[in-house]
Amino acid sequence: MAINNGLKVILTSVDWVYNWAHSNSLWPLTFATSCCGIEMISTSAASYDIARFGSEVFRATPRQADLIITAGTITHKMAPALVRLYEQMPEPKYVMAMGACTITGGMFENDSYSVVRGVDRLIPVDIFIPGCPPRPEALLDGLIQLQKKIRTETLADRKKYLEVHKPRVKLPEDDSEILLAVEGIEIMQWGIQDKALPLDNIEMVKR
Amino acid sequence: MTYIEAQGILNKAKELKTEGFDLLLSIFAQETAENIECIYHFCSTINNQEIILKTKLDKNNPRIESISSLYKTADWNERETFDLFGVEFLNHPNLKRILLPNDWKGHPLRKDYKQDDERLSWNER
Ligand code: SF4
Repeated sequence: MAINNGLKVILTSVDWVYNWAHSNSLWPLTFATSCCGIEMISTSAASYDIARFGSEVFRATPRQADLIITAGTITHKMAPALVRLYEQMPEPKYVMAMGACTITGGMFENDSYSVVRGVDRLIPVDIFIPGCPPRPEALLDGLIQLQKKIRTETLADRKKYLEVHKPRVKLPEDDSEILLAVEGIEIMQWGIQDKALPLDNIEMVKR
Repeated sequence: MTYIEAQGILNKAKELKTEGFDLLLSIFAQETAENIECIYHFCSTINNQEIILKTKLDKNNPRIESISSLYKTADWNERETFDLFGVEFLNHPNLKRILLPNDWKGHPLRKDYKQDDERLSWNER
C-alpha cells in the first residue's frame, strides 16, 4: 500500500514536470490548406505573437511537431495526406480544428462533392475553434485551453490516450486515393435522420 | 465571342497563335440543355486583345482535339475539364484526374452527377 502511494506521489510529480515542459513548448506543424491559414500565420507574426505561449516554432516536418492546427478546408484529395502526416507525428500529439470548414465542412457542408465534412471524421480532435476564420485571439485561446488540457493528463492514462488518438479512417492498400472507413468507429452525422420530419413541417405550413 | 466547329479547334488555335494571341487564359466547359460547351479564353499580350471561343460537343460522348501541343497551359486546364466534366481531349499527353482522387467515380459538375460511392459512407451528412 505504502509503496503504491509512494509510486503515485512520484508519478504525480513527474507528471507535473512533464506536463509543464510539454504544454509550454507545443510545436505546431505548418499545415494551412486555405484562408484560415492566413489567420494562423498572422497569429505567429509580431502583433499577436504566438511565441508568448511557447509555440513559435512552426515545424516543416511532422516528425518534429506535436500539434497540428488544421487551418482550412480539407478535400478528398488532401485527406490522405493529412492522415499520413498525423500518423507520422510522434506521440503525444494533439489536433486543433481551426475554423468552420474543419469542424463541420463549413459553407461546403451542404452538398459539396469534394469536401470532407469535418476533420474529426479523419483524425481525433482535441480542441475546436469555431469561426470563419477565427480571430488570432481565438486561436490563442484554443492554445491556452489545450495547454490546460495537457496539464490535467497523467502518464498513468497512457493506454487510454493511445486508444483515443487513433485515426478514424484508414489509407487504402492499393494505389487508390479514397480513404476507407474503419470498422467499429461511430461517426457523428447531423443530417436529417428522421425522414418524416420535413414533410410534417410542410403540412404545417399548408395549414 | 464566337462559336466554332469542334473539329476546327486545332487549326483555329494555330491561326490565333500566329496572329499574336500568345496567352491561353483558361479552358473550361459548361453544360446546357442540349450540349456540353467547351470554352477557350485566348489573350494577346502584344495587341491587348481577348477572344473567347466556344465549341458545342455531344453530351453523351464529348470529345475534342487537345491544343496542349500549342499552348503548354492547356495541359492542366484540359485535365481539369476532363476531371469535372468528362470531356475527352484527344492526343493529350497525360489525360488523368487532377483535382479529385484518381479513382473517383463520375464527373461532378455534370447535371446528372449523383454521389453514391459507398466507399465514402463516412463522409455523409
Ligand atoms: S472556415 Fe472560413 S476562413 Fe477558414 S478555411 Fe473555411 S472558409 Fe476559409
